[in-house]
Amino acid sequence: MADEVFFLGTAFVLVSVGLYCATQKNMIRILLGIEMILNAGNLVLVFFASRYSSMGFVDPLGQSLVFMSIVLGGCVISVGLALIVNAYKQFKTTNVRKLRRLRW
Amino acid sequence: MVMAWELLFLFSPFIVVIAGLIGERVKIAKLREIVAIVMSAFSVYSVYNLYNMIQATQNKILIVTLGGAPPLGACLEIDMLSIYMAFSATLLGLFATVYSYSYMEHDTRLTEYYTLLSALVASIVGVSFAGDFFTFFVFWEMMGITSYVLVAFRKENWGPIEAGFKYMVMGAIGSTLLLLGIALVYGMAGTVNFAQVSMVLKHQPLGIWLSLALIIFIVGFGVKSAIVPMHTWLPDAHPEAPSPISAMLSGILIETALYGLTRVLNILFEPSIFQMAVAVLAVLTMCLANILALLQQDIKRMLAYSSIAQMGYMLIGLSTGSLYGLQGLFLHVFNHSLLKGLAFLSAGSMVHVANTRDIQGLKGIGRAMPITTLTLFIAFLGLGGVPTTNGFISKYILFGSAMGAGLWWLTLLGVLNSAFSMAYYLRVMKTLISEPIEAVKGLKEAPALMLAVTVAMATLIIMFGVWPEPTAYYANEAAKALVTNLDKYIGVIMR
Repeated sequence: MADEVFFLGTAFVLVSVGLYCATQKNMIRILLGIEMILNAGNLVLVFFASRYSSMGFVDPLGQSLVFMSIVLGGCVISVGLALIVNAYKQFKTTNVRKLRRLRW
Repeated sequence: MVMAWELLFLFSPFIVVIAGLIGERVKIAKLREIVAIVMSAFSVYSVYNLYNMIQATQNKILIVTLGGAPPLGACLEIDMLSIYMAFSATLLGLFATVYSYSYMEHDTRLTEYYTLLSALVASIVGVSFAGDFFTFFVFWEMMGITSYVLVAFRKENWGPIEAGFKYMVMGAIGSTLLLLGIALVYGMAGTVNFAQVSMVLKHQPLGIWLSLALIIFIVGFGVKSAIVPMHTWLPDAHPEAPSPISAMLSGILIETALYGLTRVLNILFEPSIFQMAVAVLAVLTMCLANILALLQQDIKRMLAYSSIAQMGYMLIGLSTGSLYGLQGLFLHVFNHSLLKGLAFLSAGSMVHVANTRDIQGLKGIGRAMPITTLTLFIAFLGLGGVPTTNGFISKYILFGSAMGAGLWWLTLLGVLNSAFSMAYYLRVMKTLISEPIEAVKGLKEAPALMLAVTVAMATLIIMFGVWPEPTAYYANEAAKALVTNLDKYIGVIMR
């Protein structure tokens, strides 16, 4: 029970901090927020994989999903960084509040 | 069964990129375009072959396993619904690829463009074929990444970069929340296979964790399918993308997200649990999007808002939870893929020729480009739900199903919104055929290949409008696979 509270509580904190970061001005900080929410998901998966262990081994299903999601998260973040580089070239800032020419 | 050659079209991006690199190196003009068109035609043919294979099986479900039996290995579970979505995606992909041949010829980096376009089609097909959350999530992220890059494809301008960044942030938050939902489902069921998860969780009472999973799934899928509180990326992203990509995004990508929502909600919950929530979202989506569409000055932005409104109509079908409602939903998915695809492609032809997206700047262009304007009018009339177009059939079924489920206020609001939406379509139609301004006077009709694509799609729209039996039949089969044959879907895995 204590484990559950600890891991799921940490995941909840990570999601909250991640969502908070995603509302910030700095683009890099937004990406870090996304990565935090992703890691909260990974943490929950790893925790549940340890709950479904059999014969002393954790469940390989949850573990493999975590590896895959880390790779996919890396892809998303790299696309995001590429977009930030291009946005910096266009707007000369990493402040996301300045990206508001598209309205209505 | 392990792997069939019919599934090899999922690897078509690799063939396109190799052909593109060879074509660049040895200077064969148009090699990559031809290979991309051939591969997308091959995809449609492969989906047809898969359909025949499914018809030959006993339960009309085909299982393809990768790396072990279903609980551990990844699996594709292809039923009639998957085939239906895959056919819509590959057909629209074929039209978009052929259209790109002329539309994109002045752009650079075309190898990347065609590779990403075929990867987008392949990932949409993968999402609809997936038989477990693992495969689903992998293809889902692939779909997201390719579409982020394609929206920001013309990176020399500030518009696509801004739109792409907004889309990337919102889409990434949505898919990470989806991972959290998958983790919760895995924690409750101990497996990620759709069939096994459904067997464990479908008949359980709605506890706190299941409610949390329901909310996370609605938000996670809702971001990609542009349901109203989460829609803000769409009106930026769809107009800024190149027109064939706008057609793909509006025509099939957001519907694929809706497919994911429909599939996951139906395998995890009884319809009565999510009915009210989805109905309220449908009303919000329809009303807000239609009002905002009326205010637009940019033709592609108006079409983007119209896509959000159409998502609202489709959500009506999900909220009824009945076979008839889901038939309407899937019929509208296919019809909307043709209608909105055609609308974006025709509008794209005008933008391509006149080089402006402002509706006032296109005033009177109907005199210069009669055929393109005619096809655009057919698309608009279909989106407004005028009889003899296929949009009428699916809207009729959707609104009728809400009546059958006792949600008369949903029918009333749907019909009112549908009538209201004609206001902005007719406004644009009137502007396009009124007295021409100076800027559009000397313009010529769009290139022949682009015209051929738009005319073919307009023909299909009229054809399925006056002869709706085949599409209605397959939509019904698709809905049956989700509702009445769910026990077969589970039984095939559990054997």
